[in-house]
Order: sequence, then structure tokens, then C-alpha cells
Amino acid sequence: MLSAFLTILTLLAVCAVVAHFHPQGSHRAAAREGWRQLQPLLTRLPIALLAAAFLAVLIPADAIGSLFGEASGWPGVLAASLLGGFLPGGPVVAFPLVVVLFDAGAGIAQLIALITAWSVLAFHRVAAFELPMLGARTTAARLLVSLPLPVFAGTAAGVIAL
Amino acid sequence: MPLRHVDPMTVFFLVLALGAGTAVYILHGPAAWWNALSRAAELMLQVAPILVAALLMSGYVQTLIPRHAIERWLGARSGMRGLTLATVAGAFTPGGPFAAFPLVVALLRSGAAFEVCVAYLTAWSVLGLNRALVWEIPFFGLDFVALKMLVSLPLPFLAALLARPLGRRMRRPAC
Repeated sequence: MLSAFLTILTLLAVCAVVAHFHPQGSHRAAAREGWRQLQPLLTRLPIALLAAAFLAVLIPADAIGSLFGEASGWPGVLAASLLGGFLPGGPVVAFPLVVVLFDAGAGIAQLIALITAWSVLAFHRVAAFELPMLGARTTAARLLVSLPLPVFAGTAAGVIAL
Repeated sequence: MPLRHVDPMTVFFLVLALGAGTAVYILHGPAAWWNALSRAAELMLQVAPILVAALLMSGYVQTLIPRHAIERWLGARSGMRGLTLATVAGAFTPGGPFAAFPLVVALLRSGAAFEVCVAYLTAWSVLGLNRALVWEIPFFGLDFVALKMLVSLPLPFLAALLARPLGRRMRRPAC
């Protein structure tokens, strides 16, 4: 996690330097935008982490392991894709739950299928944004072509991770 | 805490936390309850510094890459070149659905091909650099995110390939 922090810090430094010499760049505007995004998280993130920590105790690790574990193969990838599509919320609430599954022994391929399904299918986001903005036909067509993607990503990850 | 940030999803998770917390206390006892609490605090401490730095970085990106720049990149181009551009643009589009969907509406209206829009939306959702840096790396670490990015690279093209026959049947965008 230290390497993750250092990576982000490096990118932040690069952005700050670019913004400093860019005519449109502004440290003040960037800080304001960052703060605007941080505000809602001050309540959401602790609550989501708490919920996930308690759920981690309650969810039987054996069941997760046999359903989504490394050995579950492509049926596990399929099940994870299904779960991912229905996983609610943005990353702030969904990812703590994914970490719970990770700690309980879910496989890499299955988790990648789950996160891909959550990001590309996201039925809650479809109902809230896509349907009203793009209309039913465009939305339905996009969903239809996106259905196989999580299974593809999970299977590919399984092949590479082996 | 500012009340205006309490949306239905937050309330749902608050109820979930309270319910699960009570269940842990009753079923597993106070020791397990404290354990879970310190696990949550630990994860919070692990994620928070990366998150704050990443959000500030995201703030810079949003001031440096305005929406009209992405619109100009995409235009009405199609074919392999259009798809590649759409994928790159999707990966670089910062922000949530508020940012991406209005852009797609504008693209469809201005005559972009359906498959290009599908490639863009798919790239935005599975390759989004902003989300990867702000959210995925703090929670899952570099190795996991790198593998996920690698297997996600072909997805926008795959989706566009599947979308092509549908786009032809739709003839003109529905919106």
C-alpha cells in the first residue's frame, strides 16, 4: 500500500507542476474541486467501512471460498458477475464490501469479474442516470452488448494469474 | 456532519452497519465487535491518505481536461481510429455519471456512431483512470489494479464489435 501511496503522490506532483505552467491550470480551482468531491465521503466512507467490517464477521468465509474462491472456476466467475451487476452504490460503498469478499478468500479472477460487472452493468446507475438520459432503446442495446464483458475479463484474468 | 450529504444510499448503509453491528455483538460477543471496529478504523487509516491525495489529483485533472476537449477528440469519427480515440477518451474522462452521460447524449445527437458511444461508455466504466487511481488502488493495491486494467483493455472494442449490428438496426439514435 506504500507503493500505491507513492504512485498517487507522484501523479499528484506531476499534475501540480503541469497545472502550474498551463494557462488553464489553477491550484485553487483544483483544491476546490477536490474538496467538493471529498465532502460527501466524510460521512459515507466511515459508515460503509463500518458496515463492511461487521458484515465480514457475519459472512461465513467457507461459503465465500467455495462460491467465489480460486477453485470455483468459471461458474464462480459467472456468479461473481451476477452479484457485481446488482451490487449497489458507488465505489465508496461497494469497494469495502469487495474487500470483505477478498479477505474471505474470493479468487482474483472472480473478483475482477465482479468489479467489471459492477462498473459496466451497474443496474442501479442505469436506473438513476442512463435510462433517463439516454432513453430505453439505447440503454437496452448498451446493456445487451455489455453482458458478456465481465465473464470475459474474469476468464482472461484467471488465465493470466495462473 | 453535514446533513445534505445523507442520501438514501448512505441511510441504507447506516441501517446495514447498525443491524450488522448488533448481530455481531449478540452472536459473537463484545470482543469480536471491538475487533471489527478496529478493522474498520485500520482500513480507514490505510485508505484515507491515498484518497485525499487522489482527490486533489482528480481536481487538477478536471481543471486541465475540460469536457469540450473530450468532445472535440471524439467527434463523429468511426472505424478503428474512432474506437481507439473513444477508448482513450473514456479512460481519461474524470468524474462520475454526471460527467459521462451528458457527453454521450451530446455525441449521439451530433451524429456519432452507436458503437463509438458504446466503446466510450465501456472504457469510461472499466478503464476509467480517475476511478482506478482514486478508488481501486487504495482498496485493492497496484498489482490487482494492473491485472484488472490489462484484461479490461480489449473490452471497449469487444463491446463495440457486438454493438455494430445493433447500431445498424437502430438506424438513428433513439434520443
